[in-house]
Amino acid sequence: MESRGLTLTLGPSDDRRRPLALTPREDLLGFIGSYLGRAVLFLITGTSVLAVLLILLFVILRSVPFLRDFGVGEFLTSRAWRPTADEPVFGALTLIVGSLYVSIAALLFAVPVGILAAVFLSDIVSWKIRNVAKPVVEILAAIPSVAYGFFAVLVLAPWMQRRFGFSTGTNALNASVILAIMALPTIISVAEDAISALGRELREASYSLGATRLETMTKVVIPAAHSGIIAAVVLGMMRAIGETMVVWMASGNATQIPHPWWDLSQSIRTMTATIAGEMGEAPEGGAHRSALFAVGVVLLLMTFVLNIVSEYFLSRAKKAAGKS
Amino acid sequence: MNLGVRRSLDRLFTGLTGASIVLLMLVLIAVLGPMIYRGSGAVLFGGTVEFRKMQRDLFNRADRDALAAEIAETDEVRQVVHEMVDRFKKGIDIAAMSSQAREINREYGRELRYRDATPEEYTESREVARAIRDKLEEAFGSQDIELIRKNIAEVLAHKDEPRFKGTVAERYFTLATDFLDAAEHIDLSRYHDYLVALDEVEVILFGSIEHPGLLGPRPNQPARPLAMTSYGATRWDQAQSLLDRLVWAEKWVEKEPGQPLVKERSPRAELFHGTALEPLFTYVPEQLDEMLRPRFTVYWQFFIDDNFDSHYFGGVGPEIIGTLLITVVGMLFVVPLGVISAAYLVECASDGPVMRILRMSINTLAGVPSIVFGLFGLAFFVLFLFPRLGFEPKPCILAASLTLAVLTLPVMIRASEEAIRTVPRSYKEGSLALGASRFRTFVTVTFPAALPGILTGVILSLSRIAGETAPILFTGAVSMGPVPKSIFDPTRTLSYGSYDMAVGDRLAMMVPHNQYGMVVTLITLILILNAVAIVLRSRVFKKLKGH
Repeated sequence: MESRGLTLTLGPSDDRRRPLALTPREDLLGFIGSYLGRAVLFLITGTSVLAVLLILLFVILRSVPFLRDFGVGEFLTSRAWRPTADEPVFGALTLIVGSLYVSIAALLFAVPVGILAAVFLSDIVSWKIRNVAKPVVEILAAIPSVAYGFFAVLVLAPWMQRRFGFSTGTNALNASVILAIMALPTIISVAEDAISALGRELREASYSLGATRLETMTKVVIPAAHSGIIAAVVLGMMRAIGETMVVWMASGNATQIPHPWWDLSQSIRTMTATIAGEMGEAPEGGAHRSALFAVGVVLLLMTFVLNIVSEYFLSRAKKAAGKS
Repeated sequence: MNLGVRRSLDRLFTGLTGASIVLLMLVLIAVLGPMIYRGSGAVLFGGTVEFRKMQRDLFNRADRDALAAEIAETDEVRQVVHEMVDRFKKGIDIAAMSSQAREINREYGRELRYRDATPEEYTESREVARAIRDKLEEAFGSQDIELIRKNIAEVLAHKDEPRFKGTVAERYFTLATDFLDAAEHIDLSRYHDYLVALDEVEVILFGSIEHPGLLGPRPNQPARPLAMTSYGATRWDQAQSLLDRLVWAEKWVEKEPGQPLVKERSPRAELFHGTALEPLFTYVPEQLDEMLRPRFTVYWQFFIDDNFDSHYFGGVGPEIIGTLLITVVGMLFVVPLGVISAAYLVECASDGPVMRILRMSINTLAGVPSIVFGLFGLAFFVLFLFPRLGFEPKPCILAASLTLAVLTLPVMIRASEEAIRTVPRSYKEGSLALGASRFRTFVTVTFPAALPGILTGVILSLSRIAGETAPILFTGAVSMGPVPKSIFDPTRTLSYGSYDMAVGDRLAMMVPHNQYGMVVTLITLILILNAVAIVLRSRVFKKLKGH
């Protein structure tokens, strides 16, 4: 290899008489410099903390006037959301249920497929096929949510209406199918990490006892990786619950709780869609706007809880992987 | 359990896992396929002469002489259509003909006044003219062909009278002959049906204030306010569907009582059987090619043009500019912040409560729903920070970029951290052993080595920022408006435009190619950004390796 860029100066350098030790002044400056530098870096890194605090502060502060005037009780228990009536009612129960409803329905579709796909990627295919399959998952993750919403409302909704004879194509089923597609990349990558982190020994032990792949997977590997898989599901849930454009465009935005509860072909409305849809019309300083911020607080709290749960399971998964 | 059963269950399981990946691929194809297929129609299509006219008028983009020659040729072919319609109209449009007769009568009276005629002559001529008018009106209103023939014959008897020579009253006689000619060929009891059907045909052919037509407005019609109705079918596929509507009349029929209505198609020519309009329905399909001159067009200007009439014409230029602006300004904030944070997390921080708080914040930030970022951006940047910095508290590009920068901060930090962490320790130790300070080691050794990975983080953040919609709903995106002049203006973006065209726009539904074109442009832009960054990354990688 040629030594490009490397110049060797042979012979004594000019300042060879300079002692190796630093002068006290240099030492002090270096000390102060390095600590100052660290402090500046620390402050910059603190932006994230600051951002979280500011988000909490401002979303909560904005919702305070509403919660003071209307009370938390009615907000969380009433099913009526009539923000523009003469006597406005802000009952977010329907919205909260709607958000949970589509997210859980989405998980019902996404989790089985996601776990199977994770097993496929980690245990079954060769590297070559994996390198083809992995980009599919990545592209699915890269497509912006508004494009999924566009697909849901202009392609999937008319198709569903024709194929299944629903009264409307924009309904809970449509939204949850799309949410499932969007949650899948998250679920697959986290679950695959957890499953492949377990190491060969566990699998080899199982195979050497004569277990088939199915038995190895369902009785040994997946139970051992359960923390990571739970974390994957929770992260998928977080993705689904926080998603806005798709549910706004595809869920039909009808303020109702489906009845009977299993009927996915009804329109529903979620918290995120309500904020997105009504913020533009809510006048500044009014109760409506403040109520929408309160909905934002509920959303924020939900994702916090999910976040804590996912982190608990992720740290357990890390420990489990370390042990095996 | 039986070994055979176990084995087949195992096969089933393996098959299912494979099927799940196949399902994902199919989903990807099902999502992207139809969108890309239809979206490509915004750029590649059969452009008609109307399209070229539109390009000339709205975008000042044409080979004017060639186009003028082409228009003259097509006008010649179209003239036949105009004549057919006019001829048919003469026998049908009773209201118009009656008012024409009355107009002639009035004008004749005015003309008489300026002639030197004796009062008796004047009165007599007026009376004859009035009588002719009444006869004509009677004929127009009648449904009895015998009565019409009689009336018209009586009118025509006055034809050679000298008092009408060279006056406006001569038009009476052309009116009368035209009408008789038309009346002989139609079923007089169906005047009303004809009128309604004719109106439909005219809207399909020439358009109306609201609907664009096949051939565009007739030469003598007043100019229309909207660009979309001022031209005929600009695209061959549009022309085909309009032609279909012209040739086939659709009707909702109740087949059995109580059952939902069924759509039925019948040839429209049947409606006009035996009339002067019947040949139109064979002439137009035969000559449509000559009337519209479709030509394969690559409308690459779709990516730079502004739009007219809610995206009916034109492209997505301002949307692309807006998206790029928001993305670039956002990256200016998030890249330095993210890289420095990552450097601190890897190089300086030691385990402890501070570190845990930092980590937790980053994870929390990554989990906050995008719409909450929108709320935060509105409450903090637009309504709180801007007034205090002396900016106007209104949604703008800067607010949107800042909001998106906060949103992508965790993505950026995590990717950079990962990249810095994967730099081999030996690199760093080598540098430190040579006496370089930690800062110097980071800048000259660790950072360049980590650059490919950091670029990956930049890619991820880029595509995230370009595609997000919810956070910019209240902080900077608008569906209509001028191209932004500074970062303190709100802007149109591809993402918000896609939303708006998908649900909010009646006109957009008439042009699915533009609707899909917008969203495909967004997807393509994101994929291109990714591709560019990947190429960049591989180059940096090669350089680092010393090849």
